[in-house]
Amino acid sequence: MMSGIVKRPISRRNFLKLSGAATAGAVVGSRSGILHALVPKSSVAKQGRIDKRFSICDMCFNKCGLIARVDEHGVVTKLDPNPKFRKSRGMLCARGNAGIKQLYDPDRLKYPLLRKGERGQGKWQRLTWEQALDLAAEKMQRIAETYTRCGMLFMAGSDLQSTFVHHFAEVFGSYNVISHESNCLLSRNRAFLDTFGEVPFADLLNCKYVIMAGANRFEALVTPDSIDIVTAMQNGCKLVVLDPRYTKTAALAHEWHSIRPGTDMAFFLAIAHVLVSETLYNKAFITEKTSGFDKLAEHIKPYTPEWAEKECEIPSKDIRRIAREMAKAAPAAIVYPGRRSSDYKNSTQIRRSFAIVNALLGNWDKKGGLTVAGKVGLSSPELPEAPFYEDNPEERVDAGRAKMMFDEEGSFKHTRDAVIEGKPYPIKGWFTYKTNPMQTGANREKTVEMIRKLDFMVTVDIAMSDTAWMADLVLPAPSYLERKDPISALQGVSAGACVITRDPVVPAMFDSKPVNWIVSELAKRLDLGEFFDFTMDSYRKAQVKNLPDAMKAINKDGVYYNKSKLYGRYEGKVFKTLSKKIELFSQRYEQTGLDPIPVYTPPKSVPEGRFRIVVGRNAYITQGSSTNNELLAELVPENRLWLHPDPALKLGIRQGDTVEVASTVGKERLKVRITEEIRKDTVYMDSGFGAMSKGLSNVYGKGACIAAVLEDHSDDISGNMAMHETMVAVRKI
Amino acid sequence: MFNRISSILLIIFLVAGTVSIGIAAGKAGGNARKGKYLYRKNCRECHKEGASAKDLSPADKTQAEWETLFAKGAHKSYQCAAEWDKRSEKDLKDIFSYMYDHAFDSPSPAKCK
Repeated sequence: MMSGIVKRPISRRNFLKLSGAATAGAVVGSRSGILHALVPKSSVAKQGRIDKRFSICDMCFNKCGLIARVDEHGVVTKLDPNPKFRKSRGMLCARGNAGIKQLYDPDRLKYPLLRKGERGQGKWQRLTWEQALDLAAEKMQRIAETYTRCGMLFMAGSDLQSTFVHHFAEVFGSYNVISHESNCLLSRNRAFLDTFGEVPFADLLNCKYVIMAGANRFEALVTPDSIDIVTAMQNGCKLVVLDPRYTKTAALAHEWHSIRPGTDMAFFLAIAHVLVSETLYNKAFITEKTSGFDKLAEHIKPYTPEWAEKECEIPSKDIRRIAREMAKAAPAAIVYPGRRSSDYKNSTQIRRSFAIVNALLGNWDKKGGLTVAGKVGLSSPELPEAPFYEDNPEERVDAGRAKMMFDEEGSFKHTRDAVIEGKPYPIKGWFTYKTNPMQTGANREKTVEMIRKLDFMVTVDIAMSDTAWMADLVLPAPSYLERKDPISALQGVSAGACVITRDPVVPAMFDSKPVNWIVSELAKRLDLGEFFDFTMDSYRKAQVKNLPDAMKAINKDGVYYNKSKLYGRYEGKVFKTLSKKIELFSQRYEQTGLDPIPVYTPPKSVPEGRFRIVVGRNAYITQGSSTNNELLAELVPENRLWLHPDPALKLGIRQGDTVEVASTVGKERLKVRITEEIRKDTVYMDSGFGAMSKGLSNVYGKGACIAAVLEDHSDDISGNMAMHETMVAVRKI
Repeated sequence: MFNRISSILLIIFLVAGTVSIGIAAGKAGGNARKGKYLYRKNCRECHKEGASAKDLSPADKTQAEWETLFAKGAHKSYQCAAEWDKRSEKDLKDIFSYMYDHAFDSPSPAKCK
């Protein structure tokens, strides 16, 4: 399968370049290695055998299938997409291609490190694994004895091996398990779960009308969504974008409105108003499948498009027109649920308004509408029952701070506050795996304060992230290309659900060890070895006991698909809500003392001379996995502050000047990008820059860290971080 | 007659009182985490795939259904009534809390891992 070879007339210069490439082919990670793709077929054969091995990308959370090319020296020379991987539509993006530079990053963590000197000083002592694990176990035991098992906090990122960290936390006996999710999408999940009883996906491929409010799918890539929306648009789908920023998604949409930040609810309540008052909803669907319509109809009477125009700064005639256009396209019309909804204190209620409009469009479980997760058929291996520790407190440390927190997800913000306060009980240990709260948790200074309260912090990572930089013990994990993982299910919307796994493409480099080994070694030292009495192979075997064809397909194609229907999954089924129907009016919210239908409250107004700062990303550097990547850093070496020309003029700031952005919790410096692509009252910078870790030599000190400037507010209902409530001052330095 | 009416009313209040455990705050009042441990230790042996009773996890029933199943005295007609009798009041409350808090229509439905 020789895909990727480009036949073109060769100039003398190119020929010399390519010949150089052929001989220099074995040089690890050099740019000339990538030119292999341009070398004519016969020359490739002369270079020796190329092995093709399957894996699953880990440069972000999408987990696209890939095929790695490994040369005869065992060096990975290129990462290609897997054409049989439907969720990614056979695509591998810039970050996926650049994965080679995560594998071959000279800055990679190589062996266990113990902090010497102050936190953040960057002084480390090398340990053997034996020493590191003995130390970690001893510290955890001491914390368990002094502060109960719940004195240890666990935080694991989106990863195929995180399940082992969670298993370890459970048998160790701590309820305090959090993840990055509460800095991202929990308020969206809350709102859609409470409306539909389940969090849906958007069948963009077959949709005819999509509104994306805030979501930036052409840069914040989600598969298959980002690719499917393009195909849909080619097939006549209309895309309307509401964003205070002229993102690449806004640029390619049919219609873009520079909505006033924080007023999405006004817009969608007004849309609902039009759909109801002009009877543009599907009566049969509403009667059969929803509850609370009469209450909704009454509630939205005052929320007219004329009223909404004053709030969101979108003309009322456009609001009316959009509502009518959506109704015409329904049920293949979607208010895109989005993903990151960590924006306002009332994010959950804002997203409830998204959910309610979707319900009125009657698009549930239909082609081109909101669809639900498909059955995959994996089994959970039976492991011995976790013990119960009688001296444990009754609840998680962050319990009771949000009105309806997800019990298993918790809230990073509330947990951090609890650790700093030492209430309701002390947390003295923190185990982090593949997560970087120093960069992603708003109000970085508070994360530092939290870490200072701990007796012991251990971080498992591939690189010396800002979080690892602050830890006591840093343990090196291998990259995804060096790992053997358990089997996992992946939802793919209209691409169907599938089953994936990873086997090492190349052996683990340096002294890195996968986290499943780390936690099982810790378990042995803590007399919990019986709970890790399995191998990856035996674990996998148990997982696929009901899917006899899975492993064969995975070995042959890199992925396994279980046939299941995509639409009509709810036929004859009830909704997982109190009323057993789609709740336009939420009974549970009413019982809990929350607004059962969203009530609009305007966002804080931006003080004179200040700006609201909003959060987002570019398509190349998105999470910890793509930070410090030599290839990607070339594309985006630093972030810049987006500032509109009018306030820039008033502040005496010119293009490329260095500015200071200051909030009540921190200040950062970065260059400015003066552009009309942002509102006059709003500023923006990409997240993921301004690294303070000197262990990230490609990016250390470049750009600014938005987490250092963001204040930490939270969504009332879910405890999700609220990152768009921060006002900043900008001045030229 | 007055005595009869008042004792009927008393029974109604008592039954209503028992059945309405935990509706108020959405939580069932016991220790759901202990309940998870107790359920798995005592009930899961039979209530799992391939074993003698129906495979049961909290998300298999609605909150209302769990309330009915755990109402006082309801277990007497169950096949495993003897097992129920072995458990203390507190244990049963804890197990109920676990099932209720992670029921089909609860705010944190149990994930079928």
